[in-house]
Order: sequence, then structure tokens, then C-alpha cells
Amino acid sequence: MKRIASFATLVLTAALSTVSTAAEYPTRNITSVVVWGAGGGTDTANRIVAAEMSKFLPTRINVINKPGGVAGSLGMSYGYSQKSDGYTMVGISESNVTSAVQAGWDKKFSVWYPFIIGGSPDLVSVTANSPYKTLKDLVEAAKKSPNSIKAAASGSGSIHHLNLLALENGSGADFNFIPYKGSAPGQNAAMTGEVTVVVTSLAEQQQLLKAGKLRPLAMLVKGSTTVDGVGEIPSAFDSYSGLTKYLPISQAIGMAIRSDAPDEAKAALTEAFNKALATDKVKKWAADSYYQLSGKTGAEASAQFASLESLFSWTLHELGATKVNPADLGIAKP
Amino acid sequence: MTMDFFSNLGIFFQTILQLIDNPMTILLLLGASFLGIIFGALPGLTATLGVALLTTLTYSMDLETALIALISMYVGAVYGGSYPSILINIPGTAAAAATALDGYPMAQRGEGGRALGLTTTASFIGTVVGMLALIAFAPLIADAALQFTSYEFFLLAFFGIIISGTLTSSDLVYKGWIAGLIGLALSCIGRDQLQFYPRFTFDLSQLDGGIEVVPVLIGAFAVPQIIRSMRDRLTLGKPQPIKRILPEFKTIRKNFKHIIRSSMIGVGIGAVPGVGEDIAGWVSYGTTKNSHPKPENFGKGEPAGIIASETANNSCIGGALIPLVTLGIPGSPPAVMLLGALMLHGLNPGPMVVINRPTFLYELCAIMVLASLAMWLNGMFLAKHVIKVLRVPATVFLPIVTVLSVIGSYALGLNIFNLYLMIPVGIAAYLLGEMDYPISPLVIGVILGPMADENLRRALMVGEGDLTGFFERPVSLLLIAAIVLTICSQIPAWKRLSSRLIARFLKRSEGEQK
Repeated sequence: MKRIASFATLVLTAALSTVSTAAEYPTRNITSVVVWGAGGGTDTANRIVAAEMSKFLPTRINVINKPGGVAGSLGMSYGYSQKSDGYTMVGISESNVTSAVQAGWDKKFSVWYPFIIGGSPDLVSVTANSPYKTLKDLVEAAKKSPNSIKAAASGSGSIHHLNLLALENGSGADFNFIPYKGSAPGQNAAMTGEVTVVVTSLAEQQQLLKAGKLRPLAMLVKGSTTVDGVGEIPSAFDSYSGLTKYLPISQAIGMAIRSDAPDEAKAALTEAFNKALATDKVKKWAADSYYQLSGKTGAEASAQFASLESLFSWTLHELGATKVNPADLGIAKP
Repeated sequence: MTMDFFSNLGIFFQTILQLIDNPMTILLLLGASFLGIIFGALPGLTATLGVALLTTLTYSMDLETALIALISMYVGAVYGGSYPSILINIPGTAAAAATALDGYPMAQRGEGGRALGLTTTASFIGTVVGMLALIAFAPLIADAALQFTSYEFFLLAFFGIIISGTLTSSDLVYKGWIAGLIGLALSCIGRDQLQFYPRFTFDLSQLDGGIEVVPVLIGAFAVPQIIRSMRDRLTLGKPQPIKRILPEFKTIRKNFKHIIRSSMIGVGIGAVPGVGEDIAGWVSYGTTKNSHPKPENFGKGEPAGIIASETANNSCIGGALIPLVTLGIPGSPPAVMLLGALMLHGLNPGPMVVINRPTFLYELCAIMVLASLAMWLNGMFLAKHVIKVLRVPATVFLPIVTVLSVIGSYALGLNIFNLYLMIPVGIAAYLLGEMDYPISPLVIGVILGPMADENLRRALMVGEGDLTGFFERPVSLLLIAAIVLTICSQIPAWKRLSSRLIARFLKRSEGEQK
């Protein structure tokens, strides 16, 4: 009976495929391989959006984790080794673009067709009892005595470090960058006063801001943001318009399929993705976790990842942290 | 503060309720605790080894689940060591060595069941008291969290290595320090954390990311243990028969005074980095014997003797977790392993944990309570069956442990290079052990090395090359004083001087008493 049914489905789909291509995909469950660990930011975002997308698709999206390797290379290699039929997705974030220059794998990021969920915007904050009340105070002081104000921003070559570098380039300030192994130790150092300035994401800082342990100065994205119990945090662009040349460099958490996947798969997934991001559930999750939804797909999303890839790869290369020259991979300079 | 206390108490009970609400958790608790008891009971397998091997099975679990498994294992293994002590006069773990002194005579008298009941309840009480100490003392230390900057973190890591070297050496203290420095040197392999400069990598890409802690831990703790057990061809005697196992609340109540004292000794010894359950058991046994009205009964089957060593070695667990949670320095060898496991799961214990994860301490304590309950239940109802494993010959369980060690190391990132790391480290650790070098400082060196290295260099970066920063901060000064004292106290001239001072002081206080 089962065999007959599946045969019938086969015939039916074959027949339908000649009529309408949209109905052909998906006919079975899709697997999404998150290349970062369970419970992390990328994992949570993928699980929530995948669950909503499943409601707009005839089949389910099952999320699994394959963390490890270099900048998620294990999961990406696995995902890439599957058939390019659109039934295997990868859950990714902006940090994955560094895998190639760090010899995690040998592919450019353009092998993926990404869907960007969004990310938490970066902001610049200072120690609560420091004399700087506004971004202007801070930048002017840094200009007056270059390289004397200490700044933390997670590890060298992280997205937060790139934001700090962009802030320096766009405002003319010159900070003494002190590297920490992650966002949390960097923020702690700003609290203890070991460093004065810290650049990390709003999601990572919000608890400390609410507790009054750090003083927010400016968002490193367009437009101000209001945080409960903290008030409105202005955009850095308002005080330094030159920043638009370098910023925003946004976190890009999302999912992707192989770029050589069939067009109908891309179309079906894009439609479900857009609908999922418009649901109240996703919107509420984003607001609760201080994420800004992006919703970029197609060429727009690919372009954002390409620019992140170029920026990250060359910055790391200049820091001496790459094993493969980005030029050898064909990654253009920013 | 009181408000804080009550809301924390709320978190504590909430966590317990959440945990027991999930049948899988209960299964995991009982299962891990049972496995722990077996690891403790089999001579040649230790609590450290059990936690090490179980860590490799928790790679894919989330932090909380992993902690449940590891803590249950730890508590179970420390307790399980008493079985063979009592029944065949061979301690299952070094921690239970003192238990054999009175446990075996009791078993010979046909009171084996009573002795097992006593250990079970005493271990339970010990674990809970240790947990209470943890909950009481940890926040006090953590209050100073904001005093900790790169300077203090470097000194803290260095102090951890030095003190564990001092305390674990069986003959010459220098050997402990040498072992610690070897560990420190090993931790320098790989690209440095601040500027990505490759160090000692010999152009091997596998060494680029530094050496993995888990294969080193398994190599250092498991491999020598396996070699030694095979070499010694341990044969076990026939276990003494037991009848029924009862909780023995009456005897426990009678020895309440000893229980309180033993628990305090266990907590105190556990809190000192590097020394663990074995020393706690002995010290507590000795103290109880000296303060007992009938010291001549000790060694002939005195229940208070069993209670003393078993309460202390289990309360030592909570003690060992105090510096682990608050300072990131493990208090005992199994806690070293636990620290490795926590880091593997993305949690870096230390002064900042109260800020980064304020509920962690209470979750940990909730897990400890449940783990000790699981241990007690296992002990009461399954002990009779567990002791059957004592009949399993070493030729059967050692190969299993060997295979588990190999798989465990490999499973971390499915990387065959981990095995190339584990085996040489294991052989080196065995040889060092044969020369009476302690192994714990080496492992602590590997674990705390990156913390020392990274923070020293960052401190110099922040101070722009100026060292005065070390002497301008109170906690930093305190740590420097502690390090200097630790080193000086091992210099013979200093020792003579201080013993003379202590003698004079004692004489005077005796005079005052009269």
C-alpha cells in the first residue's frame, strides 16, 4: 500500500512538475545544519525562524548542529558535501566568512545562497564612572591624546573589532585597542575600569546597561535605539556623518543553501522566509533579544556577505592572523 | 542582601523542581551516580578518571545536562570507593583509604551491611554540608569580582599552579613546581591569543590552535592508571558477605559531633587548590580518633572512624568547588577535570561568573543536592548488586577503560591528532609518576596556562610595559604575598625560622592557659 502511494506521489509530482514548478519543492523534509553550537545565538535564531518557515511550507525543516573546525568549517563542509537539491541548508553567521582565509576550508562564501535573519547591532559604551557622557566627549578626548584611551572589543579580527576600527576611521579618534578573548571578558574589563571603552553588541551588553554598570554612548548603526530602563541611545552617525563610509558592519545571522541549488527551491524558501520574518512570533523574539531583523535574500544578501568576507579577510590578513592569502582565494580588497 | 538571599533560594528550588520534573534528568542522575559508584568501587579506577571519561560523552549535551552527569559521577565515585575498603580491605580510591581501617574489621565481624549503611548516610550528609559551605562562601569571594583585572587573573593562575605543586608533591616540593611549569610550557604551544603569533607549532597545522585540554587530561590521568593497574596485576580478595543495608540514622545521630567536625575538615581541605578527597579522609580520621573518648577502638571496627573519613571525603567535593566556581582554580584532581569540562561547554568559572551567569552557583548547588540524593538511593537499594562488580577481574574492565579513553579523546572534534597527543602525554605522565612527580600540577598548568599567559601580556599591554601596576592594587598585592609565602615556606632556612616562631608562640599560649 505504502509503495503504491509513494509511486502515485512520484507520478503525480512528475506530472505536476510539467505544469507548475513551484509545487515541486519541497516534497520531503529539509535539514538545516547549524554550524555553531546548540543554544548559541545562531542556533536559537535558526530554530525559531525554521519553525515559523515550516508553517508556510508543505514539509518541515529539521534543525541539527554540527559545530567545530575552523570558524564553522566542519558544518559548512558537511552541508556543502550534500546534494545541491535545496534539501540541505546551513545555519550560519558573519563569522563563517573567515573560515577560508584561516584554512578551515577552501571555498569562497559565494558558494552559498544566503537568507539573512539579522543580528544584534553594535554600540560603543564606556565605564560607568568615566568622564565621557557623549560620543563627542570621547572622540575629542581620543583625538587630543591619541592612543591613550584603552578600548576593548572582543578578540582581534572579530566583528566588534571591525566596528571599533570603523569608528576610529570614520571619526578620526585613535584608541589603544586591548584584545580580549570574547565579548564578556571585554565588557568585564570595561566595568572594572581596566579599559574605558567597549564595543560589543546590544544583546551582549543589555544586562550591564540596565544594571548601570556601563554607560552607552552611541549605536553604531543608523537610527537611535531605546532600551527599557536605559533610555534612548543615539546613533553615532548623527554626530559623525563620516561614519557612513565605514559603517554599519552588522552581524549577519541567517541560513543558506548551496548557490547552485535549483531556482524553485530558492523561490520557495525565499517566500517562506519572508513570511516567517513577518510573523509576530519572530518579531517578538527579535525585540526580546535585542536583534534587528534584516530579511535580506538573493543578490542583496549575497552582496552583504561578500562585503563582510572581504572586510573580515583583509583585516585578519593585516593582523597576521590568516593562513591563506585572501588574494589567492580571489577575495577582493574592501 | 536578605532579599538577594531569598531570590537566590528561589532559583535554587526552582532549579531542583525543573530538574526533577524531567524523567530523563532523573534517569541521568541515577545512571551517572551508579556509574560513579562503580568507578569508585573498582580499585584502579578513580573519581578523576570517571569524570574524565564521562566528559567525553557530554560533548553534545548542553551545559546543565553535562553538569548533572559529571557532578553525579563525581559524588558517586568518591562514595563508591568505600565499598572495597570495607568488603575486601582494598580502597577503591585513595579517598577511601582511611575507611578501610575500621570498615574492614566491621565487615569481618559480620557488620558489613551496617558499615555500608553508615558510609552511605555519612557521605550523603558530607556532600550536603559541602554544598552548604559552597553556597555560603562562594558569594563572599565573588563580591570582590570587580577587583579582578588582567593583573589579578595572571597572579591567580600562577598562584594556582604554584600551590597545587606545593601541596601534591610526595617528597620534594620542587617536583610539583617542575610539573606545573611543564604544564605551563605545554600551554604555550599554538598561536598566542592576543596577536596570533605561532609558538612552538613546528609548522604543524594541528598545533596551530594550541593543544586540546581533554586529550591531555585523559592522557595524564587515565593512561598511567591503566599502565599501573596492568603492571601490578591487581587481584582482589573475596568480598566479605553482607546482610541488609539500613540508613543507620541512630548511629549517625550519636556521632553528630564527629560529623560536623569531619565535614568542616573536608570543606577546608577541599577548598585548598590541588589537594583533594584522599587527604581530607586521612586528616579527618586522625582528628576524630584524637578527640574520641575511646581512641583505642579505632582500627578495630569503630563506626565513628568510618563516619569521619566518609563524611570528610564527600564534603570535600563542595569545598573543592568553592575555588573552582569563584576563582577558576580547581580544588581537587577531579575538580581539575570538571573545570576542563566546564570550559569545553563554554563556561569559564572565575570571579566574573557571578556577573556573566548569576544563577550558576545555585544551579550547581541544586545539582549537588540531587546528585547526593541519587547517590544515597543507589547506595541504599543497589549497593548489594554493585558489589558484584568487585568480582569482575581487571583483565576485563581495564581494556574497556582503555578503549573508552581512546574514543573519548578522538571524539573531541573527531581528530586523530588528539590521540597522538594523548599517548605521549600519558607515557610521559607515567614516567613522571614513577619518579614521584605529581601529575595534577602539570594538568593545572595546562589548564591555567593560557589564563596566565594571556593576562600577563594583556596586563603589560594595559600598563604599557610598566610593572608598577602589579603593586598598586590590593588584590594583586595579596596574591603576590601569597605566592611569595608559598615559595618561601619551602626554603629550609625559612622553615626552621617559622617552626621556631610557632614553638615559641605555642609555649606562650600554653603558659597563658595555665
